[in-house]
Amino acid sequence: MEAATARLRRRPRGRDGYGRSERRLAATMLAPSLIVIAAVAAYPIGYAFWLSLTEYSLRTPGLWRFAGFDNYSEALSSPEFWDALTTTFVFSGISVGLELVIGLGMALCMHEAFKGRAILRTVVLVPWAVLTVTTAITWRTIFEPGLGLAPVLLDKLGLPGADIVWLGEEPYALGVMILADVWKTAPFMALLILAGLQVIPDELYDAAKVDGASAWQRFRRITLPLLRPAILVALIFRTLDALRIFDLPFVLTQGANGTTTLSLIAQQELTTNRLIGLGSALSVLTFLIVMAVAFIYIRALGGNIRALAEET
Amino acid sequence: MATPALERTGRTAETRREPHASEARGPERRWVKPVLLWLAVVLIIVFCLFPFYWLINVSLKTGPDLSQADLLPPEPTLDNYQSIFENADFTKALRNSVGITFITTALALVFGSFAAYALARLRFPRKFLLLAVILSITTFPPIAIAAPLFKLWTELGLYNTWAGLIIPNLTFALPLCIYILASFFREIPKELEEAALVDGATHFQAFRKVVLPLAAPGLVTAGLLTAFFVWNEFLLAITLTSSPSARTVPAAIAFFTGSQKFEVPIGTISAASVVITIPLVALVIIFQKRIVAGLTAGAVKG
Amino acid sequence: MLRAAAVLAALAIGIAGCGGGDDDDDGGGGADAKKVTQAKASGDVTWCIGKDTTGAFGTVVDNFNKANPDANVTLLELPEAADQQREQQIQRLQAESDECDVLGMDVIWTAEYAAQGWLQDITDAANKRKDEFVPSTLDTALYEGKYWALPFNTNAGFLYYRSDQVPEAPADWEAVYQQGQQDNGVVYQGFRYEGLTVNFLELLYSAGGSVVNEDATEATADSQEVRDVLTFMADGIKDGAAPKAVTTYKEEESRRAFESGNATFMRNWPYAYALGKESKIADEFEITTFPGYAGNEGAGVLGGYDLAISAYSKNPEGALAFMNFATSPDQQVIQASEASLPPVLTEVYSDPTVEKALPFAADLLQAVEQAQPRPVSPVYPQISEAIFTNVYAALQGDTSPDEAASTMNEDIQKAIETF
Repeated sequence: MEAATARLRRRPRGRDGYGRSERRLAATMLAPSLIVIAAVAAYPIGYAFWLSLTEYSLRTPGLWRFAGFDNYSEALSSPEFWDALTTTFVFSGISVGLELVIGLGMALCMHEAFKGRAILRTVVLVPWAVLTVTTAITWRTIFEPGLGLAPVLLDKLGLPGADIVWLGEEPYALGVMILADVWKTAPFMALLILAGLQVIPDELYDAAKVDGASAWQRFRRITLPLLRPAILVALIFRTLDALRIFDLPFVLTQGANGTTTLSLIAQQELTTNRLIGLGSALSVLTFLIVMAVAFIYIRALGGNIRALAEET
Repeated sequence: MATPALERTGRTAETRREPHASEARGPERRWVKPVLLWLAVVLIIVFCLFPFYWLINVSLKTGPDLSQADLLPPEPTLDNYQSIFENADFTKALRNSVGITFITTALALVFGSFAAYALARLRFPRKFLLLAVILSITTFPPIAIAAPLFKLWTELGLYNTWAGLIIPNLTFALPLCIYILASFFREIPKELEEAALVDGATHFQAFRKVVLPLAAPGLVTAGLLTAFFVWNEFLLAITLTSSPSARTVPAAIAFFTGSQKFEVPIGTISAASVVITIPLVALVIIFQKRIVAGLTAGAVKG
Repeated sequence: MLRAAAVLAALAIGIAGCGGGDDDDDGGGGADAKKVTQAKASGDVTWCIGKDTTGAFGTVVDNFNKANPDANVTLLELPEAADQQREQQIQRLQAESDECDVLGMDVIWTAEYAAQGWLQDITDAANKRKDEFVPSTLDTALYEGKYWALPFNTNAGFLYYRSDQVPEAPADWEAVYQQGQQDNGVVYQGFRYEGLTVNFLELLYSAGGSVVNEDATEATADSQEVRDVLTFMADGIKDGAAPKAVTTYKEEESRRAFESGNATFMRNWPYAYALGKESKIADEFEITTFPGYAGNEGAGVLGGYDLAISAYSKNPEGALAFMNFATSPDQQVIQASEASLPPVLTEVYSDPTVEKALPFAADLLQAVEQAQPRPVSPVYPQISEAIFTNVYAALQGDTSPDEAASTMNEDIQKAIETF
């Protein structure tokens, strides 16, 4: 790096010292990051794809054979895969939707609560700060049949649900998982939306009020549209996270009772069943699905990213 | 809760300028809003803090108390805390987590700031494509690289080592860092750098001496968010490590066998969880402004 | 960070030699496996086994270390659940880690580990002591004519019952369920895991059925016996003889349910006896061998743990020395009395200490001698998964017993035909 700098210093300087030297510097500065990313993301994905085309023997060590797309056809024709796919999308949809609504509510509240705002912001970050693994363990304890807080509380309050073995039954297990995820990330959404709320100029609201707009109209016509970028960004991050979720179902239920997600099923084939080919195929499929969704989102947000990249 | 909140949004503008103005609402409804607001605030606080409180609650119980669902521990005891700190596996996992997080964060900040500067300031072709590729890394499901990395690390002897976890964590942390830092870098007025360039500095010197110091808050933010991410990482931790010498805390907790003999290790797991969470919560309290700024960097700009 | 350079360098090679065939071609269930014949009590030995819930494992380790000052054995506890123990062991074995010297394996993993070349051949050492062991227990260590492990403890399930609620154990499972429906219910291991396979097979074997043929080359699960057992188990939950929560129970959960007074009957391993005697129902329960089913005598499934030496161990002689010690009469007496772990040595069953700690010792020996193994196959985990997923589905009511039986058959066949 120092050699490059020295070389550059010898060049004529000026307001337009851009061009080749700039490009070279850019390349040098980007190099470390790109190497790491290529090595650890690109190469393994390629390797995973290769592995997905093979079949390793469970009976003889080291023995393997090329299997073409057999693993893929097996994966795509197995009901477990489609269950996992459905579960993942259902979970993501409901979870993100709830987080959005609750997050929006919390953000509006925090925007309003002038005095306690700092405390609220800290409080609201606590769920986000708690480890995902810890979250799963906590909620598992709360819903332990008969002894956990939830069944006991429901029983004492005489509400239905005291007898349900929450984590032991579909669809309740998924419900608990959604609850845990919403608890953990609604605050995160709230913060993102709050930031968006805070840049909406008051004058807009004042003007609208002068024009006689009701609160609901002000919300729909001013707040929501201006929040759109913030909401979209929050949606992207959260949706992609939700589609890839692993920690929560793994610790909460090990995937039982309708909580198996795509990542989980891939991991199970890889680790428990030692079917490397099939597991890799499932991993690659998961990867493609997530990328597809990301691509769709980026199209929606495309303009903004372009702005970030090209503004000079 | 939607409708009252919406109405209150309108009032914010007024309350800011004239805290006690109430021209928009009749006197008979003046007390409803604050009460509802406080109710909502209380709800939020309970919602956010209660499970964490429950964790602390369980961590203070042992023995048969663990099977009861009392809101307060009938006989609070620090036994669980004592036993986890006597558990060498746990303390080693703590050490591993701290070390791996620290190193990964440092590397991510260094590499990331270089890359972010290049993206934010320098001109070169195909920038958009590059940024898209970098950001797309954040969408990778870790499972997709878990098995290949396992095989690769086994062959390279990186299995169950710190480096074996640092490298993949770095890969996932870099895009995050780059994105946040690039946003911060763009906020710095170009004139400052241009002045430095005119004075004879190279781009790199301008970067080091002008931009970095000004972007210090951004570095702190990116560092914090990276640290949180690495600290939390679970899938790769369980796949690429197997023993206390390299296992991080999330993996250790998930497989906690506990130090108690008969007990369900719920008490000790909870104690361990509390111990790990408290520093994070403390960091959150101290740095909440930074963290929020970082998290929202994308939202507001993007 | 020097490693990073090594990574990059190796990448080039890695890309060239992309992928398969690079695994260890040495080792395997055949002639290439390392053999250990001598035991030498020295050096470090790490013993990787599941959680020491009773402290008995720690006692053995301490005793060995005291008796052999040149040796240092450490206990590395793996998670409580057998499935997780297997995953953690396999992860290390696949990574060729030398971390574990002695592996505490569930008896059903022996064939798989041996086939994969992960164990060292200890045929000679085992043959020397052959007559000491209960024959059925040694069979669990046999694969392709060689011995790959020493039995450490064995297991056969028992029926626990509340003597204050039921004066005498019913003669067959049907009666147990009926009684359970009237009283507080039957609990067993109904979660979607290996334990469910065991529970299911116990009933199935009693009914005279099977899931695979003699040498595990063909699935035989699409049979009337399988359907009957599935119907029986599913109806048990539907009718309330067994609580719905039973489908979330493993051994510990069912034990806790029984100990907290929430069940009249429990199917569990003998380990729960000692723990039960220290609980609040200490004087209110008894234990008995399995009742009959479908007119036949009760049958058990052989469980237990074997000790084997990892192929990657750096101290196989020390490992063998420790294994011999842990399976010696004195240590076996301790395991039996402290942890209710059924011993593998015939003579230990008549030891007075053991008879005192396990009043049912004579029954236990009989149960062990008569217990049947689960299918012996290197792909047993897949076979088991085929069994427990389908049994679980039937228990949950997601599929009918008929569907579950035929799907089970298909799945088992597919597992058997795995490459």
